[in-house]
Amino acid sequence: MKKLVLGLSFFLVLSFTVCAGAKTLKVGMDADPVSLDLHVQLSGAMLQLSHWAFDPLVRWTKEMTFEPRLATRWERMDDLTMRFFLRKGVKFHSGNPFTAKDVKWSFDRMKTSVDYKGLLDPFDGCYIVDDYTIDIKTKKPYALLLNMSTYFFAMDSKFYTGTDANGHPKDTILKIGESFALNNESGTGPFVVTKRQQGVVLEMERFKDYWDVKSPGNVTKFILTPIKENATRVAALLSGDVDFIYPVPPQDFARVHSDDRVKLVSVAGSRIITFQMNQNRVKALKDPRVRQAIVHAVNNVGIVEKIMKGTATVAAQQGPAGFAGYKSALKPRYDLKKAKALMKEAGFEKGFEITMMAPNNRYVNDAKIAEATAQMLGKINISVNLKTLPKAQYWNEFDAKAADMMMIGWHSDTEDSGNFSEYLVMCENKDTGMGQYNSGYCNPQIDGLIIAARSETNLDKRATMLQEIEQILYDDAAFVPYHWQNHSYGAKKNFQIEPIVNGMNFPYFGDLVVK
Amino acid sequence: MFAFIIRRILQAVVVMLVISLMGFAIKNNIGDPVRDLVGERVTPAERAKMADDMGLNDPFLIQYLRFIGHAVKGDLGRSFLYNKPNLEVISQHAPATIELLMGTALIIVLISLPLGVQSALQPKSKLARFTMSFSTLGISMPVFLTAILLIYVFAVHLQILPSFGRGETVDLFGNGYWNTGFLTRDGLEHLILPCLSLSSIMLPLFIRLIRSEMMEVLETEYIKYAWAKGLSPARVWMVHAFKNTLLPVVTVFGVQMGITFAFTILTELVFQWQGMGFMFLEAVQRADISLLIAYLVVVASVFVLVNTVVDIVYGFINPTVRIVGTR
Amino acid sequence: MKKKLQKFKESYFLYSFKRDKVAMTSFIVLVLFLIIALTAPWISPMDPYDDHNIDIMNSEIPPMWMDGGSSEFILGTDNMGRDMLSTMFYGLRTSIIIGLGAVSLQAVLGVVLGLTAGYMGAKTDAILMRIADIQFSFPYLMVAIFIGAMFQVVFGVGLYEQLAVPLLVIIIGVSNWPMFARTIRASVMGEKHKEYVEAARVIGLPRLTIMFRHVLPNSLTSVMVIFTIQVGSAVQSEAALSFLGLGMPVTRPSLGSLIRAGQEYIFSGSWWITIFPGLLLVIFVLVISLLGDWLRDVLNPKLYKG
Repeated sequence: MKKLVLGLSFFLVLSFTVCAGAKTLKVGMDADPVSLDLHVQLSGAMLQLSHWAFDPLVRWTKEMTFEPRLATRWERMDDLTMRFFLRKGVKFHSGNPFTAKDVKWSFDRMKTSVDYKGLLDPFDGCYIVDDYTIDIKTKKPYALLLNMSTYFFAMDSKFYTGTDANGHPKDTILKIGESFALNNESGTGPFVVTKRQQGVVLEMERFKDYWDVKSPGNVTKFILTPIKENATRVAALLSGDVDFIYPVPPQDFARVHSDDRVKLVSVAGSRIITFQMNQNRVKALKDPRVRQAIVHAVNNVGIVEKIMKGTATVAAQQGPAGFAGYKSALKPRYDLKKAKALMKEAGFEKGFEITMMAPNNRYVNDAKIAEATAQMLGKINISVNLKTLPKAQYWNEFDAKAADMMMIGWHSDTEDSGNFSEYLVMCENKDTGMGQYNSGYCNPQIDGLIIAARSETNLDKRATMLQEIEQILYDDAAFVPYHWQNHSYGAKKNFQIEPIVNGMNFPYFGDLVVK
Repeated sequence: MFAFIIRRILQAVVVMLVISLMGFAIKNNIGDPVRDLVGERVTPAERAKMADDMGLNDPFLIQYLRFIGHAVKGDLGRSFLYNKPNLEVISQHAPATIELLMGTALIIVLISLPLGVQSALQPKSKLARFTMSFSTLGISMPVFLTAILLIYVFAVHLQILPSFGRGETVDLFGNGYWNTGFLTRDGLEHLILPCLSLSSIMLPLFIRLIRSEMMEVLETEYIKYAWAKGLSPARVWMVHAFKNTLLPVVTVFGVQMGITFAFTILTELVFQWQGMGFMFLEAVQRADISLLIAYLVVVASVFVLVNTVVDIVYGFINPTVRIVGTR
Repeated sequence: MKKKLQKFKESYFLYSFKRDKVAMTSFIVLVLFLIIALTAPWISPMDPYDDHNIDIMNSEIPPMWMDGGSSEFILGTDNMGRDMLSTMFYGLRTSIIIGLGAVSLQAVLGVVLGLTAGYMGAKTDAILMRIADIQFSFPYLMVAIFIGAMFQVVFGVGLYEQLAVPLLVIIIGVSNWPMFARTIRASVMGEKHKEYVEAARVIGLPRLTIMFRHVLPNSLTSVMVIFTIQVGSAVQSEAALSFLGLGMPVTRPSLGSLIRAGQEYIFSGSWWITIFPGLLLVIFVLVISLLGDWLRDVLNPKLYKG
């Protein structure tokens, strides 16, 4: 015992490294990017990396407006064409100058990526007008062209052209196997990758020739460590081992809040959490009264208050406030008495049995939400057999529609209402890929509206259509809505993270000010 | 002896075949690796095509034979998750676990030896009583709870030790494989909490083992004779009794380190320690079936190897134990 | 029968038990726990499996004596709004069933295989011990995933909640038998060349009879001692599996899954969700291992000499 005490006291003195001028940012997140090749996967972590090492034509601000990045301004030429005027004097990490050629090259490469193929489907192509002007054309009138431009990051066409040491073309997009872009990058972004070990660490340093000299950001070194275990991540922040963490699990909000060395910043997000009811598996669910009863039995207000600790917005529809389809008249429906009455009316007073599946590491407190839901449905005599699984197994089950009720969360790729409906409620169509995440609801009337809204460029008309969709889904109790997840960040007090975090969960660390 | 070794190697090969076959049998139940490689927006058709290209849809036997074919040449496939050859991934994660086990072994030796001996010599003393009750407590506490409480007390509350990870490491051979935490102060500090929590499961066992072995030895004629000879207590205890206590303890130590290895999974998860256990969990959660099978084969071969060596060594030391098959 | 009882009363076994306060206390606590486990449905303030009793709005209420506590929930509520005391009683019941069940299975497997290996020797021994090697190198986590996956193929998702207990018994039972097998094998190998076994063989008793009637009883001491150790570790294994999300479903929590669920709330101040079931688990494993220690001291004549 004595030796232990001795040993511990030996390490009592901690060393602090204080370097004048150089500001290091240590970040602990739940995931790290799988590659340095931004076209290899469409995922949150990859997009975050894209904003650190690369720049898009335009980017979303915290207030959901467009901010010029590599494009300084843009102009609608006709129904199908948008002209972008590009920034001059921008340099890639390799030293190569940035021109229209790089934008077109990156756009064309993106189109060949399986992950982006679907999203880029409405696009016809990218046309160079001169060195600093390009036209982007769509096949049909498309209201969301600018929204999509936030995905157009510029890669260094010269850097990625040619063949690597093994004789393979440098521009290959490869999910498994050694490719040039996997371990090498040249973007225009604020940070240059200096070291990367998958799953262990990602180190970056500030790009000396970064074009955005007006940016107040003063972080010179940036170290990202994935910390997957929630409690450990919070402990790492509280103990001062990292400066910034994401996500902060709701159960630890109070702890982070009460500590005067750190702060909690929560931003409203647009990811909707829902449960889908499979009408093909359970006959009872075909009855809209039963579906309404389920929606009325779920106390989503209570879930937000108790499980999400208030850091989510209670939902009754797919898109949050600010989205074109949002209808403020649609209110949360928790009412246990009414739920019981509806069950009685439908002839299911004695209830029935259903199976339920949810992931346990995909959404914030997903398994807990599912557990609470199972208990709530028990009160209207629907006995639930719940199984929660890690996401790697869950998606397989989801595709196979293996349970009667399945959890799905959705973040709109375009920050627009239409995207929710296209993936979640349209009748499943294997050819068009529509309704890919719909397990067992189909209403042709809604399909028609969604398709019409897609090519409607009159924004008011389009909004009316999108709102009508939400109303029908609400009346039909097409799904069980829960809430829109907030993004919660924890940071040390001297890291001014408030301006750089946003609802898309792209922390713009390039603009971070450290005092 | 030569025949025995040959036989053992043949047995080991059979064991590997069985294990890899079992690994292959369950691989489809762990999840779809393609799902983890692509974003959520990729269509089922595209995914099916990828699975085809990766050979995941080939008949079971073809996949298995292909694996064996590569394995014979020393190639255990490529990890989907880390995007590197499996053997490289495993050998890069192994040092972290080995260092964790080494630190744990060190703590066990440093703490259990003095405490065990002390409580054997003075079983009625306060310290001995405290040791015994405290060590029983240690064995009853789930290791993940111990780990979390240690983090809470030493990292969050007292802020004297780091909370996660390996800290600053030094590349031992300059080739990126063995990054050691033993050579820097930061690395050593990071080792303390994980090693403490891991040793908490085994410490009680060893304190008790040393105590009972020592007590047993103290009762033997041999020690009584030593007393009768009028030797000093220090000499009787340390030279005569202690030495004889050690042999069974060392034997058990080897076995228990094997069991401790299984517990590294939990410790590594809580401390985000980038070792084999952490890698294994990652592979399970992300459905990296290629890495999983390679992991099974590597771990199995290490176990078989160690068991074989132990049996051979045992046969040399203790000729009364007849090795099976040499009769 | 009477004679046997009389014999037991006069035995050294009982005598030493009466003399040992620690063993007595442990035994009383263990019996108390077993009674709680058996009678949980009747003595619990509420039925934590009945959804009608659970309201999410009651979640994380502190124990009665703290600020914000309520006399309705003596030890407070968990993160789902279940009464802690009731949930712990039911959890203890589940953990004990899994612990005893799994170790019984281990013992049966281990004794049969260990006995066979030790007595038969040669090829049988080699094969069985290689199987033990395979088992050892498969982490029980792997076994859990494997059996879990097979289970789902056979029974579907719906039955998981009902069948989780037998499933965990099988998983923990199957993955830990080598411990018993090795010990039994070792003690059989020491035993089988003794005169009485040779004698039994000479008079032509069948192998099975010799194995189970003559060799096994003499190895039972070690079985009993390992049994107590293994019950503790089986309860721990179940807790570990729950920690990794492979244990009891959240709606039917065992002590281990309760600790796991509560562990996330340690930083936030809702310590009771994890500390109370944690204490219960610690005490349970503690009394079992204390009894095991005592048993070892009593049954091992070598130690008794002093």
